[in-house]
Amino acid sequence: MNNKILEVRSISVRFKTKTKFKIILKEVERYKIAVDNVSFDVMEGDTFGLVGETGSGKSTIARTLVGIYKPFTGEIYFMGKKIDFKRKNDLLYLRKNIGIVFQDPVGSLNPKLKVREIIREGFSIEEKYSKSEQDKLIVDITRKVGLGESKLDSYPSELSGGEKQRVSLARALVTQKKILILDEPTSSLDVSIQAQILNLLRKLKSDFNLTYIFITHDLNVIRYMCNRMGVLYYGQLLETGNVKEIYESPLHPYTADLMNANLTLDSSLDFTSQYDIGEPSRKGCIYKNSCKKRFELCENPPNDVELGERKVKCWLYKNIIETQRM
Amino acid sequence: MLISMTNEIERSKNENLLEVRNLSIYFETIDKKIKILREIDLYVKRGEVVGIVGESGSGKSTLAQAIVGVLDSPPAFVENGEIIFEGERVFPTNKKFNYRGKGINMVFQEPIVSLNPVYTVRRQIEEAMDIAGIEKDKKNRDEIIKNVLKELMIRDVEKVLESYPHQLSGGMRQRVAIAISVIQRPKLIILDEPTTGLDLIVQRQIMKLLLNLKNEINTSMILITHDLTVAANMCDRIYIMYTGRIVESGPRTNIIKDPLHPYTWMLLNSVPRGYSDSGPLKVTEGSPPDISNLPPGCTFHPRCPRVMEKCRKEVPKIRKMEGEREVACWIYE
Repeated sequence: MNNKILEVRSISVRFKTKTKFKIILKEVERYKIAVDNVSFDVMEGDTFGLVGETGSGKSTIARTLVGIYKPFTGEIYFMGKKIDFKRKNDLLYLRKNIGIVFQDPVGSLNPKLKVREIIREGFSIEEKYSKSEQDKLIVDITRKVGLGESKLDSYPSELSGGEKQRVSLARALVTQKKILILDEPTSSLDVSIQAQILNLLRKLKSDFNLTYIFITHDLNVIRYMCNRMGVLYYGQLLETGNVKEIYESPLHPYTADLMNANLTLDSSLDFTSQYDIGEPSRKGCIYKNSCKKRFELCENPPNDVELGERKVKCWLYKNIIETQRM
Repeated sequence: MLISMTNEIERSKNENLLEVRNLSIYFETIDKKIKILREIDLYVKRGEVVGIVGESGSGKSTLAQAIVGVLDSPPAFVENGEIIFEGERVFPTNKKFNYRGKGINMVFQEPIVSLNPVYTVRRQIEEAMDIAGIEKDKKNRDEIIKNVLKELMIRDVEKVLESYPHQLSGGMRQRVAIAISVIQRPKLIILDEPTTGLDLIVQRQIMKLLLNLKNEINTSMILITHDLTVAANMCDRIYIMYTGRIVESGPRTNIIKDPLHPYTWMLLNSVPRGYSDSGPLKVTEGSPPDISNLPPGCTFHPRCPRVMEKCRKEVPKIRKMEGEREVACWIYE
């Protein structure tokens, strides 16, 4: 039942930052690596959470998965099929099956189109529907996302933040999708509206049989929405596993620091824990400069250590593996 | 003589540092008046951290701007009420900015907006010190600046001092903005969403720093936020605002553990708790009403789970409850 729907195999994404011409017109290119050797699997029916701070590459991963960016190494398998990012058909195949909702509902909706036409944009990759079928589906989906039919003829500027996000959802789901990527879908919303959208997302998931990839920096939201998650830090995936296990016993020191810093209604600010915020390290383990548990081995880049269903990129767990082997 | 002096000290201890009395403010547009704040009553004691929690459009930022005295008029006009700071009326007043600097400071949500892009950090901090008249001697001054920045856990002090705001990260900028505020040793700091948009660990750190500073220089703080979890962790007392009105106020533990107003219930229920197997969040559909077109009676009644006939017609008055608590709701009549 639990099939792998999406496999991400050590993908890296980089952006060109500088092109300099040296003396003999020799081009020197520089790159910024936004996603560095990231692998994870998403099972069918999962809500897979990706958590990370600013600049950790979570949005880059989301955009790579729908083919907006192209990885320079690594592979992506969708339903067992390898995606070749150079082939147009493969990209179309991705887009037909993977929808995406962006954080900024203002920036992702065309201000000059009415809501009806915005939702119709969702059909641009599916040619099999006639106009009247499209209209019927549009009305259908607006009702399912909890938007009044009367809103179909308004412009995005007339809608509230929550309503705009519902329009984005409707556009993504108007054609049948397998995976929906949610890139910080509630970050710009008020708390009570966020709660409404989270409830809606849960309902849509079972209605449409969806798999979610949920990207956010809010640990309370991840815990509430996801069953599996990955922790990103400056482009590297430091830990993946079951949400409950990660929250109850984080393995990577960075995950532990994050969990410790998370505020809940019952938490109390303690004055004992000290955070040492350092720059991400270029050599060795990327979290070396901020880590409280660093030791000699951290000068070398760590490999992924698999502990059952969990994966962690840290030297602390090297010995555990070795004792298991013996 | 002595007795009168001790009396004086005693009195200033008991006296509230800041009092907002029955403040109503409206904005005037071409064709109508829009009431932004309605009958706000609020006080801040010395050394106290007070939270103002509300969603967007609740008027919390307008209230902050009125307290600091940066509210532009027009469009804003005072209909009623006043703000008293240390026994002196500061709003509305003709005198401008007389209490800024040493008295009340504000840290804005967007540090990039409050910092000057063409001056180095050092120059901006020194400017703040000039205004407050702190330490003219150059050597001592350097010492003070470095100490404050070190307390804010800025490591590379020299480098940060010579940087321009755009060269710093968001967390660093916010820390610089806080440094500029605290170096003047104000009696009251107003923090408008000081940690929104910052990374978790940096956010936690800044909150800790602020509380440390509070204990050190006995500053009072007003924390404006939409995030109840932040308020629950930092504040002594919390005010809940909805559509320009204070609907509930009280000590932190009471608000979080035993909220009175249905809106506070909803805010608390909106915070996701538990794992993915827990039930749906208990919120009602609908969103805050348009402030220029408020429903009659209690403005929360269209979303309220306990709505009664009376709520649709009459506006509930704020009502004193046990233990420094207040609530504006007909349930408690």
